Amino acid sequence: MKVSLSWLKRYVDINVPVKELCDKMVMAGFEIEEMTDMSETMSNVVAGRILDIKKHPDSDHLLICSVDVGGDSPVQIVTGAQNVSVGDLVPAALHDSRLPNGMHIKKGKLRGEESNGMLCSGGELMLTESDYPGAEVNGILILKKDSVAPGTDMRSVLGLDDCIIDFKVTANRPDCQSVIGLAREVGAVLGTPFRVPETAYKTAGGDIGDYISVEVRNFDLCPRYYGRAVKNVRIAQSPEWLKRCITAAGMRPINNMVDITNFVMLETGQPMHAFDLSDVRGGKIIVRNAAEGESITTLDGKVHKLTPDMLVIADGEAPSCLAGIMGGIESEIEDDTVNVFLESAKFRRDSVRKTSRSLGVRTESSGRFEKGVDIINVEYAMERALSLIYELDAGDIVDGVIDRNEGLPGARLLEAEVNRINALLGLNIPGETMRDILCSLKIPTDLEGGILKCRIPSFRDDMETVADVAEEVIRIYGYGHIKGTPMHGEVLRGRKEDDRIKADKIKDVLRSCGVSEIYTYSFVSGKLADMLELGENDPRRDAVRILNPLGEEYSVLRTQLTGSMLTVLGTNFSRKNDRARLFELSRRFVPKQLPVTEQPDEIPTLCIGMYGPEEDFFTLKGTVEKVVSAFAAKTQTVRADEPYLHPGRSAVTMINGKKAAVYGEVHPDVAARFGVECRCYVAEVDLSVLYEIPPRRITYKPLPKFPAVNRDIAVVCSEDVTAAALEECIAGGAGKLLEKAELFDVYRSESLGESKKSVAFSLTLRADDRTLNESETSEIMDRVLKKLSAIGAELRG
Amino acid sequence: MGIREELERIRTEALKGLASAEDEKSVEEIRVKVLGKKGELTAILKQMGSLPAEERPAAGREANMVRSEIEKALSDALDSVRKKMRDRRLAEETVDVTMAGRAPARGTLHPVSIVTEDLIDIFRSMGFDVVDGPEVETERYNFEALNVPADHPARDMQDTFYIGDGLLLRTQTSAAQIRTMENRTPPIRIVSPGRVCRADELDATHSPVFHQMEGLVVDKGITMCDLKGTLERFAQEIYGADTKVRFRPSFFPFTEPSVEVDVSCSACRGEGCRVCKGSGWIEILGAGMVHPKVLRDCGIDPDVYSGFAFGIGLDRLATTRYKISDIRLLFENDLRFLKQF
Repeated sequence: MKVSLSWLKRYVDINVPVKELCDKMVMAGFEIEEMTDMSETMSNVVAGRILDIKKHPDSDHLLICSVDVGGDSPVQIVTGAQNVSVGDLVPAALHDSRLPNGMHIKKGKLRGEESNGMLCSGGELMLTESDYPGAEVNGILILKKDSVAPGTDMRSVLGLDDCIIDFKVTANRPDCQSVIGLAREVGAVLGTPFRVPETAYKTAGGDIGDYISVEVRNFDLCPRYYGRAVKNVRIAQSPEWLKRCITAAGMRPINNMVDITNFVMLETGQPMHAFDLSDVRGGKIIVRNAAEGESITTLDGKVHKLTPDMLVIADGEAPSCLAGIMGGIESEIEDDTVNVFLESAKFRRDSVRKTSRSLGVRTESSGRFEKGVDIINVEYAMERALSLIYELDAGDIVDGVIDRNEGLPGARLLEAEVNRINALLGLNIPGETMRDILCSLKIPTDLEGGILKCRIPSFRDDMETVADVAEEVIRIYGYGHIKGTPMHGEVLRGRKEDDRIKADKIKDVLRSCGVSEIYTYSFVSGKLADMLELGENDPRRDAVRILNPLGEEYSVLRTQLTGSMLTVLGTNFSRKNDRARLFELSRRFVPKQLPVTEQPDEIPTLCIGMYGPEEDFFTLKGTVEKVVSAFAAKTQTVRADEPYLHPGRSAVTMINGKKAAVYGEVHPDVAARFGVECRCYVAEVDLSVLYEIPPRRITYKPLPKFPAVNRDIAVVCSEDVTAAALEECIAGGAGKLLEKAELFDVYRSESLGESKKSVAFSLTLRADDRTLNESETSEIMDRVLKKLSAIGAELRG
Repeated sequence: MGIREELERIRTEALKGLASAEDEKSVEEIRVKVLGKKGELTAILKQMGSLPAEERPAAGREANMVRSEIEKALSDALDSVRKKMRDRRLAEETVDVTMAGRAPARGTLHPVSIVTEDLIDIFRSMGFDVVDGPEVETERYNFEALNVPADHPARDMQDTFYIGDGLLLRTQTSAAQIRTMENRTPPIRIVSPGRVCRADELDATHSPVFHQMEGLVVDKGITMCDLKGTLERFAQEIYGADTKVRFRPSFFPFTEPSVEVDVSCSACRGEGCRVCKGSGWIEILGAGMVHPKVLRDCGIDPDVYSGFAFGIGLDRLATTRYKISDIRLLFENDLRFLKQF
């Protein structure tokens, strides 16, 4: 809410510098968006009277003026403009002056003649016709005859000796979307008197009923509709003071009638609308919902199609105004307008908001209705408007009032215990102080037996509970009084949830493996499923759609993290990062049904992605195993069947029959689609499977007392025999005495034969209670070889 | 030559040889030559038996003296050549200490995770439990129970991502307040970090996905001074021990009174600078006393209990701490960015 300091001063005494006022208002809950000191826009420009004009001896178009600028003697200024005459009052920029357009004026010589400044045009002072009459003529701005004394600072002539303060008003204070509301706060903050402007006017007879009738068909959306008529309006320019007020607030002056409605809206917070009565067909106003298929052309010339949920002000035939938002072009006030109907109403805030949003029309008026206007203030605003019309002689006020409502709320009493307020704040503010603060905010309050009895005015609908009263007290009393106390009371556990502890552990394991964490969005493009070549019936295609996404790219809740990971790998590859090891620990969203009727399952999921010269299938597998082994002792690895993975280099880790991880080299087609033009690897781990495994308890195992025996063996088998199968044979054959069996070499050659490989293992055997002797060892090895032989793996000769 | 002369010769030669020995091998050769099985001194000792009985004690004494002298010399010589060799090796092993060091590559945590962890540590030390909540929320938990009525602008499609009737991506971690109050009985002291979404277009300072940490305390006799004390402790841990905290009135539907919380600018110590736009203060979070309606709606009697809540923007905390000028960097995941943390 922008307001000029001079406007505020009409209603409240301000006895501090503007900077201090701003600081104090911030501490009372009104942030300052911007403060503009308009006097900084120009300097050293004064009103000057032209005493004498001579032709320049050396130029056809230059004139030499002798100008009274208030000093002891006139100054000589050369001008090129031809519209000046002796006796004219003009703006004179003196030596070393600055103009709003950035010009810096210094004295100098023009074709040999001394010029001690410059006479200014309206344009050079960045004025328009509405700022000052004559501002847009071609030539020097001629000020109103004898309006000011020569030497008067042009800033005061133009009303620029003022500041514009833009207050940020919080959503709970719609009453402060007005100069009066803000002035009321200023009065409380500074402790200075606050005055609501008086209303006074004389009517000119007649009866409003002869001009118009009003019918409200939807009191739910329009709880109050108040109207008056003005006849014989005299459309003219508004006086300077009024224009300046609304210009400071960021609005454009139009004519006295429109300006008055805008002025009153800014002053009281109550939007008003003026209809040209000659354009109201059938002599009636109907407040109703739009009918299907109706449309309206608004003041800005735009045509809007209306829907039945939108409230309109219609005449006997068609909508003539979008209720609370913008008037129609047909009933606009124009220079030939004779009779006017003035509207002051309350429309329901969500109705105005929805219509305004869906039509894309936002106005000063709609903004105020959205935040909520005071149903009682509706009448005061009208009285103010009529007073101004009377004061400015803008028309003759017709007798009679139209006030349609279904009852107005009475005064509300809110009781608040002083002790409760102090208990909430942790302070000890005397009840009398609280009472005085509330009264200064124009909330009439009595203190009786330690209880504040507040008569809540209609403009403070936000005040409902003791807590609200506490807030009013403390924000004026000052938050500086609140002194921090350390937490006290029963000592509570500062615990993390189990899943968070587990996630922390995973992050630690991954970091120690050189994997860095990434964050990506929870919503992704619906196209990812195609990019990953997921099958038509793949459940990961059943993603929850966002109804109002920012765009296709962010339109579905992800059912897997792989797509986001590949996107990030692609970004890094394209930026010439030569290697990457990344992980993301987030959630995937699995709907219980589509379309969704309840919250989807949010499944904690880990995604790992890698590329670079060091990486292959086994570096990824090792990393996945590091994570899994933090939870599970026993896992099983089988081949994966994922459309986005390399068919020969992908695997699934099973734990207790559940898929815990799917990982492998990314299919080259898929990798290329994401912009990764090298081998890359991705794993997706279902953490819900890991998290449900009961935590492993560490039990110390005594260190071995007896030496181990090591035996290396190499067996030849066919390609399709897996390492896991061989290991199983070794374990089966060696039994409990096998400490470990490590695969250390795989070898293929022509001499071995086609589809054959030699696999070498290093076995460590150990008994807890003795040193294994040679014959025992040989026996064990024989059993191992026998088992191996059974699956076609023969000792290599 | 008599035994005496012989002993003297062996002694002199051995000592001379050891004095000039350059390596362990030469020392060993001398040992073998003198004290070995077939060594010179060994031979003499063997001859002792053949000496006349009266000469034996003196000669034996003499021989033993020579032996121990040579043994000591051998041991000294060995130490000396070993030291020399070690010194030579060390000299040869000199490296250029200005060359780059090597360490196993360690992965990094995302900056938002780092600040989240820091905050969790601070609040746990004050007895706050850490709880998580769902990212997809119901209107009830995200709005209604937080005293945001149906006609409130915040519930507009413009600001909130909806996925179905009454279902949305949570716009604030405050939703966790309600779940906690429904599931626990006071005293309650929790923080709830997490991801939230708002329908903001992505630019340098806005992201449709961001992270918050909600804090909630409910107990008998909780006051605004407790809120300030808690936030002072947090601010001083994060911004430094001399950090001051200031409350400014504000508005949130679920707290009353509501405040914006500023901390004294750490760049200028409150003098006013570019970072704080001359005010000396930096806005860091919103807070307030839990609205009595919210308490009542969660089955907690506001006449008995009171509480406070606060919400901290984690992404903003990360960007200000690390002076990250563009919030988009947090979600691009360029390794050259990630590796800096």
